[in-house]
Amino acid sequence: MKTKALTLIMTLSLLFGLNLKAQTGQQILNKVDRVTTQANDVYQKLKITLIDKHGRRQERIAELWQKGSNKRLFRFISPAAYRGIGILSLPNNVMYLYMPAYGRVRRIASSIKNQKFAGTDLSYSDMEAKKYSERYTAKLIKSDDHYYWLQATPKDKKSTYSKVILKVKKSDYTPVYAEFYDKGGHKIKTMSTQFVKNGKYWTAKKITVKDLKTQHATIMTTLQVKYDQGLSDNIFTTRNLQNF
Amino acid sequence: MKRIITLLAALLTLFSISRAQQPSGQQPLKIYGQLLSNQRILTKNWNWAWNENRLDLKLEKKVAQNSKFYSEIWLRNIGLPQYYSLSELYNKNITDPWNLEIRQAYVSVFGLLNGKLDLTVGKQIMSWGTADKFNPTNNLNPYDYEDVLDFGRKRGVLAAKADFYINSDNYIEAVFMPFFKPIGMPVGVFANAFNSQSLTLPDNVSLHSSTDSVIEPSYSFKNSFSAGIRFKGFLANFDYSLSYVYGYDYMPTQKTSDIFLSVRSLNPLTFNADINTDLNFYRQHIIGADFAGNIGNVGVWGEAALFIAAKDVDWTITSYYPAFLGGQTSTKDSVLFAKNKPYIKYVLGADYTFGNGIYVNAQFIHGFLHERWQGQLNDYLVVRAEKSFFNDKLKISPVTGMIMIADWNDVKNNYAWAYFPQITYKPTDNIEFTMAGGLFDGKGSGLFNNLKDYKMLIFSVKYNF
Repeated sequence: MKTKALTLIMTLSLLFGLNLKAQTGQQILNKVDRVTTQANDVYQKLKITLIDKHGRRQERIAELWQKGSNKRLFRFISPAAYRGIGILSLPNNVMYLYMPAYGRVRRIASSIKNQKFAGTDLSYSDMEAKKYSERYTAKLIKSDDHYYWLQATPKDKKSTYSKVILKVKKSDYTPVYAEFYDKGGHKIKTMSTQFVKNGKYWTAKKITVKDLKTQHATIMTTLQVKYDQGLSDNIFTTRNLQNF
Repeated sequence: MKRIITLLAALLTLFSISRAQQPSGQQPLKIYGQLLSNQRILTKNWNWAWNENRLDLKLEKKVAQNSKFYSEIWLRNIGLPQYYSLSELYNKNITDPWNLEIRQAYVSVFGLLNGKLDLTVGKQIMSWGTADKFNPTNNLNPYDYEDVLDFGRKRGVLAAKADFYINSDNYIEAVFMPFFKPIGMPVGVFANAFNSQSLTLPDNVSLHSSTDSVIEPSYSFKNSFSAGIRFKGFLANFDYSLSYVYGYDYMPTQKTSDIFLSVRSLNPLTFNADINTDLNFYRQHIIGADFAGNIGNVGVWGEAALFIAAKDVDWTITSYYPAFLGGQTSTKDSVLFAKNKPYIKYVLGADYTFGNGIYVNAQFIHGFLHERWQGQLNDYLVVRAEKSFFNDKLKISPVTGMIMIADWNDVKNNYAWAYFPQITYKPTDNIEFTMAGGLFDGKGSGLFNNLKDYKMLIFSVKYNF
């Protein structure tokens, strides 16, 4: 009886182990998506700190609303020069930009998506509400006791990145670190993320993005977060984008 | 100066009262804005051509979750003071000219009728159209041409605006404006920028004097209102809108000119001409359509408006000859501007950001902001290329300008260009220094040919607070 039980446990362990080993990069990326877009909706108040290579700092405060995995509204609250500038990201690559100075909402051409957004080290594409698995195809290149290392290749051929190396925590599938490579294969940007658990959801408490070429960094700190508030679809409209 | 102090005191009092009486849950009155200093110098003689120091104050208060008060006030010191007597040096309005302008002041209520209706009432500036700054369908507010290089600037008008949202993608906007308001004409060195329809006198006639009278529409309900309606939708990944405006051409048009000729010399026979011109504003129907979207990775947009005069618009010119010449003492001539001659103004544009960060925006414009009437619209190609460096701290726009062709059959003699290279530096988020050039040249007539003696360097500082 004891032997049978032991055999069963060993078999299950083996199967479980095989299953772990059999996980493809894409499956891991899908799990990353599930973890990072688990909530029905989220509201975040963010502090964005820009640090240049001399260590000079500038701070901006912004708000972000996201519903599901494909609707996102981002808006600066301060400083005055940026107040009210907002981006609305909708399904099917539709993005709008609102600049209060011009008093109108403008569609953003998709060619701008690889460019830096409002002086940060984040691109317009990073501001888009899109799952990792929609942006990248991934393969598992390394695995150690604590992390999976994925090589993610952009699906968009016009992306400025040739690949992204993603470090995913095995215990909870949070993407804690990423390296971005240009078309020449040079590492150009890194992103470290500290996650904390808020109830049942993982929150990116602090994201640090470094541009290795300019030695400029952007630190995005979550000041406030609210999940599952039942955000209305009306928030994710051009009407709301300009009526701040 | 007293008025400035009074205004600032009033604003501070308003701010204090707002803070003090703030019921819990309500947002305080927000005061923010921009300080702008803009100076321009002519390169031909290094004379200063423009001096503007503007405090742009914005006041905003959310009265409740679904209503908002917003106001934008310009307090400006503008112009280069000119004084001719000692007594004028005692007058601060002459030595230090300034003005106060309430650009906008309105109240908005959101989400009426089950969240479907937004209402905005007050002095406001509405922005219709998808093109970049040159919007032929944006005809609710009159243009403010005071600074002709600030393309597309509008004057606020008293209006009631209702936006009815059918769903998140489609809405109908209706606007009613009870009062008529004309355009603001260019000032300073730009005063002659609009060398509009003018009389050409024969060689033996010299202009002795010229006067004009502008006849404004009467302030009756029927004569002074304008209204517009627009449907805005989203289809096949493209934004689009269809619009109709029943309003005015806000730029005055010559109605009658009386030319009184008197003999200056008998051998050869030459005349002096004293001209009196009456100008008025004519009603028009404007039907518009626009779109914006992406084709591949390129942003594209287009906008067109059909202008139809509500009734005949003609210019009657009567010449009165001295009686002693014999024959008839007056002759009449008539120039028809718009009778049965609807005309279309349109813009087609595209923008693209290259992988290296260079942003290019190009627009083809048929009919510039101030141009009107069939056969008198010129074609413009407007291009802007810019690149930002150091995380947007430095922006260089080396290729920014436009080319105008007035007559495609004789381009060599009917063209103009304007070139506006620009460097902007933002040492911190709130401060922006700009150095730019304004170069103009060409042959024939047109806005930029009228400015070709005013090539200039432009310096500006903006501080946001």
